[in-house]
Amino acid sequence: MNPEKAKYLAENMELRSRTDRLWLNNPVVMQGLGLAPLVVAATTGRNALILAMAVALLLTPTRLAGALLGGVLPRRFSIFYYAGVACLLYIPIYYACLEVFGVGIRQVGIYLPLLVMDQLTIRRYAQEKAEKPLRALRRGIAITVGYGMVLLLVGFLREFLAAGTLLDEPVLSVRLFPLAAQPAGGFLLVGAICAAWRGCIRWYKKHVNMEAKRGV
Amino acid sequence: MSIVIGGLAQFFLYTVAAFAAQNAVFGRSLGITSIVQMVEDPDRDSVLFCLLLTLVQLISAPLCWAANLAMAPLSLRVVLRPLTFFVISALVMGAVSLLCRRLFKGARGEKMARMLPPATFNTCVLGTLLICAVQSFNLSQYLGFALGSGVGYFVSVLLVMEGHRKIDRRSVPASFRGMPVMLIYIGILALAVYGFTGHGLAI
Repeated sequence: MNPEKAKYLAENMELRSRTDRLWLNNPVVMQGLGLAPLVVAATTGRNALILAMAVALLLTPTRLAGALLGGVLPRRFSIFYYAGVACLLYIPIYYACLEVFGVGIRQVGIYLPLLVMDQLTIRRYAQEKAEKPLRALRRGIAITVGYGMVLLLVGFLREFLAAGTLLDEPVLSVRLFPLAAQPAGGFLLVGAICAAWRGCIRWYKKHVNMEAKRGV
Repeated sequence: MSIVIGGLAQFFLYTVAAFAAQNAVFGRSLGITSIVQMVEDPDRDSVLFCLLLTLVQLISAPLCWAANLAMAPLSLRVVLRPLTFFVISALVMGAVSLLCRRLFKGARGEKMARMLPPATFNTCVLGTLLICAVQSFNLSQYLGFALGSGVGYFVSVLLVMEGHRKIDRRSVPASFRGMPVMLIYIGILALAVYGFTGHGLAI
């Protein structure tokens, strides 16, 4: 690694650790958000795609609407407008998902409507100050991408391990880890993925710091 | 008389089912993010949180049952359920908040009122009410399931907190410390629920 780049990265590591929702501060791996659909409903690639589409249509608009309403309504009512907007948005989102995936959306059961009350969607209400709309938009998109990435990884991995298929296409003739399709397997797998991810981040931070010191 | 006894039997049966075999946390992962936050923030009063969650869930249950019954002829009921249940939960939260302020003056009442929004608007409350609606439970089943789910959530929180306390931090590899080891621990406990049912629960 270029010493100057390493020095720059090391100096800004704390800020990046707070703002990078993709790797260094992923909403699932570092904050434990949106775990319920991930552990129970994301058992196949198709289910993960349904949930990812719903999150993509729900999260950023809710956060943006919450930021806009936060500018005009008292902060003590923030939970009502964040959750209320999410519940209203769920109506067109359900039909959009139905249009794209057909009756297959029944596979995710209650975990589709449950997204409206997930901390991933409404947790911003707990903050004392209202967010600026542009910042809400930027953060919303970043969190959506970060969450969607983990959702798809877990969904496809669980389908592969539990059934030996990818999007219903046979890949293996053996079932490597059938328990992956159950919530218990979901907990174990998500725990292992979080540990591996956090391990990589620790290694990366250590590596950047060592390179920066070497440059000095 | 037989209707009352039948209703009580259903209430008891569904309470036990929601508490053990269909446990909200280990079987369906409901409210798991709140547990992660409770474990990482030891100052948060987990007992009070669970009590408020159970109370809101139990009071909301009959109202949601009535609303679900009223919506039965509507073709839009599937998409209207989250909004309807949200409005009901919000009204119940308001009533419980007023009650808390009346019964507990000063800092304690304020603390309870502050803890009510996260105890009301989470995946455990909405998830429990949605399961009851989707599976077309009757009133006694609604009440039994809501109570059992709340008590099951409370016991799950106690088990996870105790497990978290007992896991020796020095012996856990650095990458596994915190949430990852906790999820693996919950996964092992969830295997016991899987042993109860022998199959995945309908979601």
